[in-house]
Amino acid sequence: MPLEIEVEGLRKTFGRREVLKGLSFGLERGGFLSIFGPNGAGKTTTLRVLATLLTPGAGKVCVAGHDVREDAMPVRRTIGLISHNPMLYLDLTAQENLRFYGDMYGVEDRDARIDELLDRLELSHRRYDVVRTYSKGMRQRLAIARAILHRPRVLLLDEPHSGLDPRAVDILDGLLAEIRDEHTFVMVTHNIAKGLEWGSQLMIIENGRIAYEHAAGVDPDAFVAVYREHVQEGSVL
Amino acid sequence: MTGWRQFMAILRKDLIRELRTREMIISMILFVLLAMVIFHYAFGVKEDVDLTYFTGGMLWVTFIFAMLLGLNRSFAQEQDERCLDGLLLCPVDRVTIFFAKTAGNLIFLLIIQVVAVPVFTLFFVHRGYGSDIVLFVVVLLLADVGICALGTLLATISMNTRSRDLLLPIIFLPLIVPLLIAATAATTTIFATGASFGVLGTRLLFLLGFDAVFMVAAYGTYDFAIGE
Repeated sequence: MPLEIEVEGLRKTFGRREVLKGLSFGLERGGFLSIFGPNGAGKTTTLRVLATLLTPGAGKVCVAGHDVREDAMPVRRTIGLISHNPMLYLDLTAQENLRFYGDMYGVEDRDARIDELLDRLELSHRRYDVVRTYSKGMRQRLAIARAILHRPRVLLLDEPHSGLDPRAVDILDGLLAEIRDEHTFVMVTHNIAKGLEWGSQLMIIENGRIAYEHAAGVDPDAFVAVYREHVQEGSVL
Repeated sequence: MTGWRQFMAILRKDLIRELRTREMIISMILFVLLAMVIFHYAFGVKEDVDLTYFTGGMLWVTFIFAMLLGLNRSFAQEQDERCLDGLLLCPVDRVTIFFAKTAGNLIFLLIIQVVAVPVFTLFFVHRGYGSDIVLFVVVLLLADVGICALGTLLATISMNTRSRDLLLPIIFLPLIVPLLIAATAATTTIFATGASFGVLGTRLLFLLGFDAVFMVAAYGTYDFAIGE
């Protein structure tokens, strides 16, 4: 199986502070990498480098065979990012937001694809309402539609369950289950239960380095014990 | 074709949002009208004082400060809900973002001028300049493009800084001075004595050059300016 994501000696510095200190890992096509770690460990920075929102300070990062520094445009066509920030224009309607992103990604069947996603995410009835009037859960569902509108091969998830009510969590998980086989995933999370449930590969980042790596199938209690060793703050189970 | 579609998408999004909220337009129009009222009372206390030779300066200083208000707001919406990340995740040439944002700001500035120039003329210009209207529109357009190109570039640079409301005027105002001088001189000449393309040729060429310099500067640096 070819590697969809390849990271070799990734370093990133903000000012004098080195946030990533030589991360190396790979993820096969169709894999699901769950990344855990304490706040400030470098999880989100890693995800933002994969998403081309940050440039690597040193090292090599390839997504779908393209270098994120040298060849960012094809990487951007390949990825979708779902974050706890929905990246939606609050004064536009759901339809206007999706049309905007559809045009930006050059989606050929834009309107049909928007209809399909709004139906799938149970938002059709609110498509002409401005996003400002949406609940947090509805915004997050619309953010999922935004992220998968252009049919990306790789989905990057940054705390996707954060702040969602149980109903919204169910809808998000249902959608992830539906599209699980079509994508490669990297998920940054504090939610151990979700990370273990979805991950085919598990990783703990601590202080900019990989502190633990394991394939899926690890005993949850054993993982929690390892996790607690590395994370001082309370975990979310 | 993709670049054009993306340009139109960004422009349409900014226009729809502004038409819906009217945040930027209303604040700019109010500012411009209030500035004119204040100028009227501040400089027009004696009826025999001829203000014609100050009109160009008053007009362009007002537009430049109004644009500062608008520039801050035009990027504030991109930072709500991390929309800028969403925009930067798209496979779009960063220069397309610059041109779309500049075009949006230009449209807003022109709307302000359509409202403000007749009021300004009523208050301060005592000579009819109907025969020079084409020349005046050329001056307006050339100066507006320069203001919006430079303003958009600098607003982008300052948007990620902690004190962007302070930083933008500090870097924008000194750099806009050459354009202000040329636009003021051309406008004052039109209002005071009338002019022709021949008389204002040097000023117009200067404005054109200013526009070109900052368009090229943005073309070369925007990727860096909007990046991390």
